[in-house]
Amino acid sequence: MSSGVYVHVPFCLTRCGYCDFNAYAGLDHLAPRYVRALLAEASIAAPAWDGEEVVSVFFGGGTPTTLEVADLKSVLVRLRDRFDVTPDAEVTVEANPDTVDRAKLAALLDAGFHRLSMGAQSFDPAVLASLERVHGPDSVRRAMAAARSAGYANVSLDLIYGAEGETLESWEGTLAEAIGLGPEHVSAYALTVEPSTPLGRRIASGVAPAPDPDLQADMFMLACERLADAGYAHYEVSNWAKPGYECGHNLGYWERRPYLGLGAGAHSYREDRRWWNVRPPEEYLSQVEAGRLPVGGEERLEPSDAYLEEVFLRLRILEGIPSSWVEPQTAEPFLESGLLRETDGALVPTERGMLLLNELVLALAG
Amino acid sequence: MGFAVTDLSRIRNFCIIAHIDHGKSTLADRLLELTHAVADRDMREQYLDKMDLERERGITIKAQAVRLNHETGGVAYELNLIDTPGHVDFTYEVSRSLAACEGAVLLVDAAQGIEAQTLANYHLARDAGLVIVPVLNKIDLPQAAPEATARELAELVGCDPSEVLAVSGKTGEGVTELLETLITKVPPPEGSPSDPLRALIFDSSFDAYRGVIAYVRVKDGRLPTRAKLHSMVTGLNWEAEEAGIFAPEATPIPALTAGEVGYLVTGLKDVHQVKVGDTITIPGRDRAHDPLPGYREPKPMVWSGLFPAEGGDYGDLRDALDKLKLSDSALVFDPEVSQALGFGFRCGFLGLLHMDIVKERLEREFDLELIATAPNVEFHVIRGDETIVVHNPNEMPQAGTYDHVEEPLVLATIITPSDFLGAVLELCQSRRGEMADMKYLSTTRVEVHYQLPLAEIIFDFFDHLKSRSRGYASLDYEPWGYETSNLVRVDVLLHGEPVDAFSSVVHRDKAYAYGRQMTERLRELIPRQLFDVAIQASIGAKIIARETVKAKRKDVLAKCYGGDITRKRKLLEQQKRGKARMRRVGKVDVPQDAFIAALRVDHKAEAKR
Repeated sequence: MSSGVYVHVPFCLTRCGYCDFNAYAGLDHLAPRYVRALLAEASIAAPAWDGEEVVSVFFGGGTPTTLEVADLKSVLVRLRDRFDVTPDAEVTVEANPDTVDRAKLAALLDAGFHRLSMGAQSFDPAVLASLERVHGPDSVRRAMAAARSAGYANVSLDLIYGAEGETLESWEGTLAEAIGLGPEHVSAYALTVEPSTPLGRRIASGVAPAPDPDLQADMFMLACERLADAGYAHYEVSNWAKPGYECGHNLGYWERRPYLGLGAGAHSYREDRRWWNVRPPEEYLSQVEAGRLPVGGEERLEPSDAYLEEVFLRLRILEGIPSSWVEPQTAEPFLESGLLRETDGALVPTERGMLLLNELVLALAG
Repeated sequence: MGFAVTDLSRIRNFCIIAHIDHGKSTLADRLLELTHAVADRDMREQYLDKMDLERERGITIKAQAVRLNHETGGVAYELNLIDTPGHVDFTYEVSRSLAACEGAVLLVDAAQGIEAQTLANYHLARDAGLVIVPVLNKIDLPQAAPEATARELAELVGCDPSEVLAVSGKTGEGVTELLETLITKVPPPEGSPSDPLRALIFDSSFDAYRGVIAYVRVKDGRLPTRAKLHSMVTGLNWEAEEAGIFAPEATPIPALTAGEVGYLVTGLKDVHQVKVGDTITIPGRDRAHDPLPGYREPKPMVWSGLFPAEGGDYGDLRDALDKLKLSDSALVFDPEVSQALGFGFRCGFLGLLHMDIVKERLEREFDLELIATAPNVEFHVIRGDETIVVHNPNEMPQAGTYDHVEEPLVLATIITPSDFLGAVLELCQSRRGEMADMKYLSTTRVEVHYQLPLAEIIFDFFDHLKSRSRGYASLDYEPWGYETSNLVRVDVLLHGEPVDAFSSVVHRDKAYAYGRQMTERLRELIPRQLFDVAIQASIGAKIIARETVKAKRKDVLAKCYGGDITRKRKLLEQQKRGKARMRRVGKVDVPQDAFIAALRVDHKAEAKR
């Protein structure tokens, strides 16, 4: 089965208050060791994946572009060397507008990273500030121009909506700016508050307001409308793409295809097993340097777990679930209230239904 | 049987009347020490308050009778200290304990003065013909005002302020004088050891190993261990396994005789067979003919539905109530089915404290988690010649199907510093009160009597009284009959479905406020659903308040990539479990906590006064 490889780079220039990813500021000195460890881990892990065709590679973080292009390239070369990476495999690298310029982008493209995913988040300076992003709207515009001039033909922009102080009007402006830059792909996420983050703590202690879910719902609907008008197809809850530019790597997650994660805290999945690497970079380094796979934990999926995953992942993408999986009377109220629609024998969430996906999953996965 | 029967003239039976924190238990400790009833090494604080529950609440639920031996002027006296409960819920028990005494120490904190409850119990004691010994306590405290308080006490009792004793339960100062005074002032018991046996059961308790223990005062005759006995109210014949005294631990003796106080191990397994106020005699020819006066059946005043938070615990709750009933003769309960809360019991309590104690014991001793509906009083619905007794707002017939409704009243006694009189009167007026009378106890303290509906007192009256008087006012009340009242049943509907657990019977003038309060509270508590949920309050078909919980629009996890799938699946499973724990009212999912929070009445402060 076609599979994917994810490479995690846990370094960032600064930490944003809302982010709960396995990312660290101030650990840059570990970068050379970390690159060596990625190379080593790829070599140790590869034999088990013999015969698996790798159709996508994704370098995420953190901020992968905090590493030298030569280092990123050496890891990609190692993957091509040890895994059965298809020649036309999708190869994505995430970038922070502030960590790239035209030269670096050209080098990345030359190294084989032909898909660029850029964390724009917003074009409203006030929103960027409240998200504690260090870049301004101009850096996104500049980075986008640099990407185009470096030759990038497949760029995705990440947006976040619903931060403190953001209004529907400001979001409308951000959407218009993003669309105006003409990316091939847009990811738009409702700001999600994780309790363990500085933002989560500020909200729990009442210092900051929690995002208003109704406003976020309005923002979601507006995104659906504006992006559709601009020719982007809505293909997952938070993802839109021009025809043919869906993110193949992420579709792999949602279609429950196998994937291998390399790097600190990276997750992997194959058959009925999910496992993940140890999270702290230092621990990851010492495990790999000792010649071991740095596995921190695993789970075996029971058939009921697998079924729940199948239902909620299929509902996230517009594939939906076969109507035959649920009793007609279970689906009926949702079809009637317009949260689901039935297309070609499949139950697919409508846009309003996507907003209430958890309710749909719980009702349909019974 | 070579046991020396104590000469009646050497016996003194007395109790201590005091407000909750005026130092009764500490004074009792000093009396135990001074009379060497407890060896120094065994002494511990609040010796007589044995149950955990009692220690924490600082009150005495079960009366005990302790024998103290004291010698004065070369004569040995037997003093029986009968401990009385001090809360309005237990007025009947207090009256039975008083009936076992000839004297009462009226103990008042020299810093705080007389409180309403003390006053109420003082009146009970005086009416029972007891000799009152006024005593100031805590004279060691810097804020004590012994002169002023002594004047207040002397005024009340009708003596000279110089006759008021001053003691410190803490240091022991004045306690010897108190003992001497009790011997000289309290009369010895009357009664004849040779008459047919008559013994008053003034309290009972339940021992898991020995069954029901009866606390008795022998009025006439003799009560030997192993005697065949007859209870005049229950008509039961039984045999006492053991007679004894508390010295202060239970100590068997061959017999109790006229004038004495002690306990009987009845061998009976159900506390309902040993009724407080019953008279014990001997079956057959030698039986007494007239029972001692004053017996009354305990009568529940406050009702509430108790439901297990987990529906599956119904059987456990039933077993727990059955067990509790063995040691609590005042507890009554009947099965109740609520659409919203499932299977449970409608329980009757003597008052709010009693309700709290029962709830707490069920939760603590039987490890149950409970939902209690808002407490209500017993209403009488009059239809022609028929009186329908209603213990549950849901049993209240719809308006128009009956002639009128009557509700219980109480006569409340409130003592407050005069500075707060205005605020206190305002509170009573706002609770549909009618003033009976008012008098100044001193230049700074006022005693007010108000006739109030009991229903107005059982919610948050005491909290308000305390907050309006900076904690100084005190309250006591006694039943004052039933009166016609303009009461209506208010129902609460969720999405058109009435929620039986939230129905309430309230005065028409307060129906709108109640309706608004419940709908507003529920709007905060009911999570958003997939559709707009109407929360309405109604009287019959008429809607008097309405709130809406707007349909939820967003419930989705924004991101779900490789590393998120396990976590997101677990979140969904958690959400699913949460949903399963909710109760369904019609189409609406209501979390357990919403019921608990919506029904929460903050009456804890009242219970702890």
